[in-house]
Amino acid sequence: MIGWTGCILRVNLSEGTIKKEALARSDARLYLGGRGLGTKIMMDEVDPRVDPLSPENKLIFMTGPLTGTMAASPGRYMVIAKAPLTGTIGCANSGGHFGPELKFAGYDGIIFEGKADQPVYLWIDDDKVELRPAGHLWGKNVFETTDKLLEETREDARVACIGPAGEKGVLFATVMNDKNRAAGRTGMGAVMGAKNLKAVVVRGSKSVEVADPEKFLEVCTEARRKLKAHPVTGEGLPTYGTGVLVNILNQMGALPTRNWRDGGIFEHAENISGEALVEKYLIRNKGCFGCSIGCGRLTKIPEGKFKSFGEGPEYEAEWSYGAACGVGDLAAICQANFICNELGLDPITMGATIACAMEMYEKGILSKEEVGRELNFGDAEAIVELTRMTGMRDGFGDQLALGSYRLAEKWGHSELSMSVKKQEMPAYDARGVQGMGLSYATSNRGGCHVRGYMTSVEVLGIPEKLDPLVTDEKAGWLKIFQDLTAVFDSAGICLFTSFALGLPDLAGMLRAAVGWGCTDEEILRIGERIWNLERLFNIRAGFTKADDTLPPRLLEEPLPSGPARGKVNQLEVMLKEYYVVRGWNEDGVPTEEKMAELSLR
Amino acid sequence: MKVKFFAHIRDCAGVREDTVQFSGTVGELLLYLSNKYGNTFRGAVLAGNQVSDRVIILVNGRNIVHLDGVDTVLDEEDEVSIFPVVAGG
Repeated sequence: MIGWTGCILRVNLSEGTIKKEALARSDARLYLGGRGLGTKIMMDEVDPRVDPLSPENKLIFMTGPLTGTMAASPGRYMVIAKAPLTGTIGCANSGGHFGPELKFAGYDGIIFEGKADQPVYLWIDDDKVELRPAGHLWGKNVFETTDKLLEETREDARVACIGPAGEKGVLFATVMNDKNRAAGRTGMGAVMGAKNLKAVVVRGSKSVEVADPEKFLEVCTEARRKLKAHPVTGEGLPTYGTGVLVNILNQMGALPTRNWRDGGIFEHAENISGEALVEKYLIRNKGCFGCSIGCGRLTKIPEGKFKSFGEGPEYEAEWSYGAACGVGDLAAICQANFICNELGLDPITMGATIACAMEMYEKGILSKEEVGRELNFGDAEAIVELTRMTGMRDGFGDQLALGSYRLAEKWGHSELSMSVKKQEMPAYDARGVQGMGLSYATSNRGGCHVRGYMTSVEVLGIPEKLDPLVTDEKAGWLKIFQDLTAVFDSAGICLFTSFALGLPDLAGMLRAAVGWGCTDEEILRIGERIWNLERLFNIRAGFTKADDTLPPRLLEEPLPSGPARGKVNQLEVMLKEYYVVRGWNEDGVPTEEKMAELSLR
Repeated sequence: MKVKFFAHIRDCAGVREDTVQFSGTVGELLLYLSNKYGNTFRGAVLAGNQVSDRVIILVNGRNIVHLDGVDTVLDEEDEVSIFPVVAGG
């Protein structure tokens, strides 16, 4: 096949077998790759009611047809499984070099089934694929594991692995690749750990073919020109990273502060911003495979009690450890983030869970004896210490390892968890950015910003400028964002390209790569199909309209200050419109007509 | 009133924030600031006599496109924030 390699690896860990299967052309046509194809396989092969940490769950690594090509920022792959944190379809996207390398070895993806008796890793050296013992790696962190594996395979191989957090079943453990890139959300690392799968190591020497090389070169060159010329992808992200958002969200009064309790203005925002990171600790920026943006941060805290070195933090971690925990010490935030990479933890859920625990402590729900220390908002040492304890499941970290919802529920206060479908929301207060509330409530993987990034239109004015304080037009725009994002995630290119590139650019690259004669609208329709398929998985897993909601704090407690003062999120209005726009019934279930229209019947 | 600068607009102005004695509209403020800080700043925030589409301007946290645009009248107590068009996530 062109664009795709046409081959998928199926690894049964219980039996120790490895098969090479042909990629189903009809599925590739309907679901593209990455997130779409992975979800289709899950739907076909896994009971959505399965226990996510049981051998019956599957773990899928999947690239897209543009992964590893010269398309714009084509370094992406996705990890798909039923998610332990949320119970929804789980799916997390990562960059770096691992995804392209998998394609260079000749595979579009890998399906892991069952559970190995003993820890193992998969070693893929082009056509030769084998399971190897990994007992000697169990307990090692991400960096140690990666170094050791490169030593015993090939130094030019690429490694995706879990750290101690994944081994120990932390419900928001990540799959880490190339040391510092994370398939971060929903707990894919815990699924990997439950399968006794420590790592996947791959080395490939082939290339990816495209259908029309001349046309492909032309459209990719134009896409890259647009990325360079755009102020976001050509200037803002390379220079300041994603943390450049801290100040703007704060000025707009929508940077959630102290577990979303104290409104959207954090008094130390400047200290934790992307600008501050550049000024104080940034060594240089860093890009993934074939990326011209380079939003990654190589960071060093040269001295002091948080002396450390690593990659990041992103905006979301600057917020989760910073504003959400009331911490204004950027050095501590950086070190906590580095520990997330080292142990394999999602920093959004980690920071937000500590923030929830801080509020519980200040309310007297958690005692000093229970936590093992004082835990007031603003405690910089606590975010570092508790992150390490969570990754190792030491002491109170064992409770934090379940995420904020299960922690707060255990103590009878689930309302203090700032989560949707048990996954912590990211750094945009939905009382001040109304459409983001609808995005969180309807996201197929729980509280999340990268399933429908309404901040783009409501805060940044890309590609249109919508008023963040009203609900008008939000449902229609969200549907477009959700569908288009599903295409980006399934094509294998970075979502950040969408700040400069639109559907015509993406569709142009896809058509030239795979040789389709389809329209832009037909490609967007693939995204809609994927979105509906994810929804169907969740419905079969037991989710209902009642789960499409927000924490009571966002629906009942008005913001105390800033331009959105007095506002709560008006979810009910938007949700009703959203179901209509989606062609779903009033219970949020895709109608028979909609499913037939999308070839889901 | 207080005017705050962010990201590379900060470099263009040479300061993080400024307190100015000013009355008038946002458009007039941008001209005033451009005269004060010079051509690099002017080039960053203005395209001819129009506001550049590469900046975001907030008045008390509200984007001027949801107020009266460059005709938004400023008050002595207002806080103006000037950002380049940025994004992340």
